[in-house]
Amino acid sequence: MIAGVAAVGAAAAAGLYRFTDLFRRHYAPTPYDDLLGQLVDREQAARLGAKVAGGANAGALAARLRAALTGGLTAAAIADAGAGRVQDVDGWLLPDSVALLSALAARA
Amino acid sequence: MTAPIDARTLPSGTVLTPDLAIIGGGPAGISLALALANTKLNILLLESGGENFDPANQKMYAGDADGVHYTALDAGRLRFLGGSTNHWGGWCRPLDAIDFEKRDWIPHSGWPMSRKSLEGYYQHAQKLVEAGPWIYDKADAIIAAKGELLPLGDGGIYTSWFQFSKTRDSDLPTYFGHRYEDDLKRSRVKVLLNANVTGIRLAPDAKRVERLDGATLNGKSFTVKPRFTVLACGGMENVRLLLASNDVMTAGIGNQNDLVGRFFGDNPTPRDVGTMVVFSGALAPYYNNTMQMGDGPVMRATFSPTGDFCRAKKVAGSLTTVEQPVELDETGKAAVITTALALGVDASSAKAYSIGCGMELLPDPDRRLTLTGEKDALGLPRLKLHMTMAEADFTLYRKTLQELGRQLLASKTGMLRLNFDKREEWSKTMDWGNHHLGTTRMHADPGQGVVDANQMVHGIGNLYVAGSSVFPTYGSSNPTLNLLALTLRLADHLKKATA
Repeated sequence: MIAGVAAVGAAAAAGLYRFTDLFRRHYAPTPYDDLLGQLVDREQAARLGAKVAGGANAGALAARLRAALTGGLTAAAIADAGAGRVQDVDGWLLPDSVALLSALAARA
Repeated sequence: MTAPIDARTLPSGTVLTPDLAIIGGGPAGISLALALANTKLNILLLESGGENFDPANQKMYAGDADGVHYTALDAGRLRFLGGSTNHWGGWCRPLDAIDFEKRDWIPHSGWPMSRKSLEGYYQHAQKLVEAGPWIYDKADAIIAAKGELLPLGDGGIYTSWFQFSKTRDSDLPTYFGHRYEDDLKRSRVKVLLNANVTGIRLAPDAKRVERLDGATLNGKSFTVKPRFTVLACGGMENVRLLLASNDVMTAGIGNQNDLVGRFFGDNPTPRDVGTMVVFSGALAPYYNNTMQMGDGPVMRATFSPTGDFCRAKKVAGSLTTVEQPVELDETGKAAVITTALALGVDASSAKAYSIGCGMELLPDPDRRLTLTGEKDALGLPRLKLHMTMAEADFTLYRKTLQELGRQLLASKTGMLRLNFDKREEWSKTMDWGNHHLGTTRMHADPGQGVVDANQMVHGIGNLYVAGSSVFPTYGSSNPTLNLLALTLRLADHLKKATA
């Protein structure tokens, strides 16, 4: 009986995993996952990041971001806007940290 | 009751001898006449049009233009009683104190008077435009209590307010000719319609006006010999009459320093300059439309740079308006989702709006009106406008938009896209306020202005100019309320000068 319930539970969990898998894209591991993990929607960020001008490579972006995101993305984004660290990305005015992390998402 | 007289019915050769002749029956001329109506002055108000639109009269305004695309010279103004209030939008807002200051980053800026000089006249001007009680930026406190105001946080941009002209019958806005015709009839002011002044004739020493030459489109001529004359025909026609009256001063009256017609100004109103996203999706209706505030005035919110921001960032004035909702493209959606999530804000109901603006142009002596060889039906040379717009006009306003975008982010209210970068992009959606400013600019130094701080033409003791053509720097607020305040100040001066 117990084994039967466990089997049903395992099957349901596996199904749920597969179900959510349909909606959440999975990415291959990168050296920048500590940063990219702060993005709730990496796909949208990558779409935006593709518009970020400048030729900085992923490694250089990551180095800047690790210095900037010590308190997390939200704190950095608010601090950037407060301090006037704002970038124009395809016309959109974005906090530096958001623009850089989006660029990293596009280039990682 | 003194009914208006149709100049076409006067016997040719009629000579009129008022104490004060006011040339032009627009808002400035009508307001000046009414402000002086209770004095002992015999006032003659000369209006070139009739009581209603007449194509033949309107055609007198036709002219040429080159340079930056601009409204046709006979389309942006109206030649009948009430003048251009017959098609104005009713937008009212006082100029800011900084608009009067000499701003070292804006060449040729500064008035020979401060905003304080007009404080005592704004309330009366407000009554004339029927814009309700004086609230303007005090609306912030009223609205903030309701919790509807978009938070902008600290920074260089604040929520500014327009009030709107409203007639007795609740139609927007106040058409001065219709609204004040009965007041003029009840007063001692004599109104002469269809009366075109074709020349201002000076005494040989060029120090006084001796007479005005008048004519009608049906071939009558008349003469006016006033003690004092006020030119109030608008920023274009004032120039035409001064330059064309060149028999004594060969360059034209007041034009000894080649200033008459220069520094033409307007408020550019480019559309869709940006896209503003409100994360919550909640936008009070007074942002993108007019709204009656209870039983009070009709108002609309805009965004303006503070004086401190203008000084610190060396920008000009502007009033950013929220316009119609717009759909975002895929990049826009990505920008909103990514930024809102990064800020920890729910943007699932976010809405986007196009934004527009009314800008302050930088004064430019080469943006000017001159006379052409072509003449109108009464033999007066027509005008040509050379219109310019500097790269700095765009780049300075972009700085203001950038600050608005920064503040929207910092306050987690929303975000902004700058839709235009290059001049060509701005030009595609460019429209104009048709506010004709600056062409007889006010300056204490005769070498730098056509009229002095009392609006008297430098060196000509009985000739004054009223209206927005005397604005030496333009500001971004619509001019009507401000030119009325200035005209009421002129009325006070004339009471003393004519005594």
